[in-house]
Amino acid sequence: MTKQLNFTQTTLGAFKSTFGIIGIVMITLLFSNTMQAQNTATTSTTQAEQELTVTGTVADEFERLEGVSIIKKGTVIGTATDKNGAFTFPKPLKTGDVLLFSYIGYEEIEIKIDKNNTVINLVLTTDAIEVVGALQTDKPYKSKRKK
Amino acid sequence: MKTLWYILPFIVVFQSYAQLSDFGTVNFYKADSIALANKHEGLSNLPQLAHKLTANLTTDVEKFRAIYLWVCTNIANDYNLYLKNSRKRRQLQHNSKKLEDWNTRVTKEIFRKLLKREKTICTGYAYIVKELSTLANLKCKIINGYGRTSTTDVEKLNAPNHSWNAIQLNNKWYLCDPTWASGIPSPKTNAFIFQYNNGYFLTNPELFAINHFPTDSKWFLLEERTPNFETFINAPIIYSKAYTNLELHETPKTMHHVITKHTTVDFKYTLLKPITDKDISLVIDDGYNSKTIHPKNIRINTPALAFNHQFNSTGFYDVHFYIKKDLIATYTFKVETIN
Repeated sequence: MTKQLNFTQTTLGAFKSTFGIIGIVMITLLFSNTMQAQNTATTSTTQAEQELTVTGTVADEFERLEGVSIIKKGTVIGTATDKNGAFTFPKPLKTGDVLLFSYIGYEEIEIKIDKNNTVINLVLTTDAIEVVGALQTDKPYKSKRKK
Repeated sequence: MKTLWYILPFIVVFQSYAQLSDFGTVNFYKADSIALANKHEGLSNLPQLAHKLTANLTTDVEKFRAIYLWVCTNIANDYNLYLKNSRKRRQLQHNSKKLEDWNTRVTKEIFRKLLKREKTICTGYAYIVKELSTLANLKCKIINGYGRTSTTDVEKLNAPNHSWNAIQLNNKWYLCDPTWASGIPSPKTNAFIFQYNNGYFLTNPELFAINHFPTDSKWFLLEERTPNFETFINAPIIYSKAYTNLELHETPKTMHHVITKHTTVDFKYTLLKPITDKDISLVIDDGYNSKTIHPKNIRINTPALAFNHQFNSTGFYDVHFYIKKDLIATYTFKVETIN
């Protein structure tokens, strides 16, 4: 035990005297490195969580569309286009968020947000639907009979 | 006592599973109240509407219920638009290019009307149910096909004329018809009358198949027992009240019958709610007079209902089956003498 303690003390002493300056330099280096690492990490998180304001317009092949619903997919946060077909998403978004554009009679479109895609000018195509309509009635059936 | 607290959650879970598998006893009081409380919400902001209708509900079936009931009680059927569309479609049925153009034009008109005046025809109903469901994170589809009512001319039924919905709840698909559930046009003025019919909500697919024929047969949801178009055309006419009274329509399987004098015909149904013998009547119409009879041999073993009727006079009869004042189904019988 004493030997070991002695050894430690000797080592410490050696550190202090011989490697004191080097130690400080190394520790400083260590810190600066850590700082750098932290810096990079911070930068990348900021990139991912950078708050993006998304704006744009929605139209069909003929004109701008008013009242197109835009929601953040999986949430109820959303807005609708104004009478000029323009919108500004009410909450800041981040890379990877998906906006769902929907409007009665048109196909739904999903747009993935990233920092190069914050101005969205969308053209919706009409939904390929057959418009049909049969009505229910309570009129009793009447056979056609020969007069 | 302590053991009970350990067992209780299991009992509750088991019971609610059983309920959810057919939703028979799910209480829609809360969902319905929410749908009715949002009566004056417009269609201008669909995500907001979907949110208002579903945010306070926990199960998918309740969420869907609120959406469905809201659509059925707020969207009116546009009879004039329906007439205009069906006339035009018939005229253009052999001209696919022009039909396509018409479709594009009428689609715009329909959706504009739907948004502005909350009036539409069945594609509009099915569409808005689907849109709101999608916004509430529910899996819902529009099913196109043929719908048949007492006034459908089956000889002219050569193109799909109706749309309804399929909804996935707990990994199982169910059928519903918001158009027919919302009401009927007034027999006199053709103005639409709201008259919610709960029978078209998550209906038994076998009953549904009697007057709904999807263009894609997988949407019968009947697996191998899928009817063909001929069976569909020859099926009896069932009315909206059939959906509030019956779980199943079993026999007669066809609309038109040629029988000999003194033949006894069997009628069999599965009921949704208990009834008594005197609730059942047949109105038999020979084209000049109609008489109401109470059939013999009524056997009610809830939910099963069976009775029969013997035709003792020759002639051609429209036979209407009623439960109380509800018209359920119509069949025709040509009664001939034996040679």
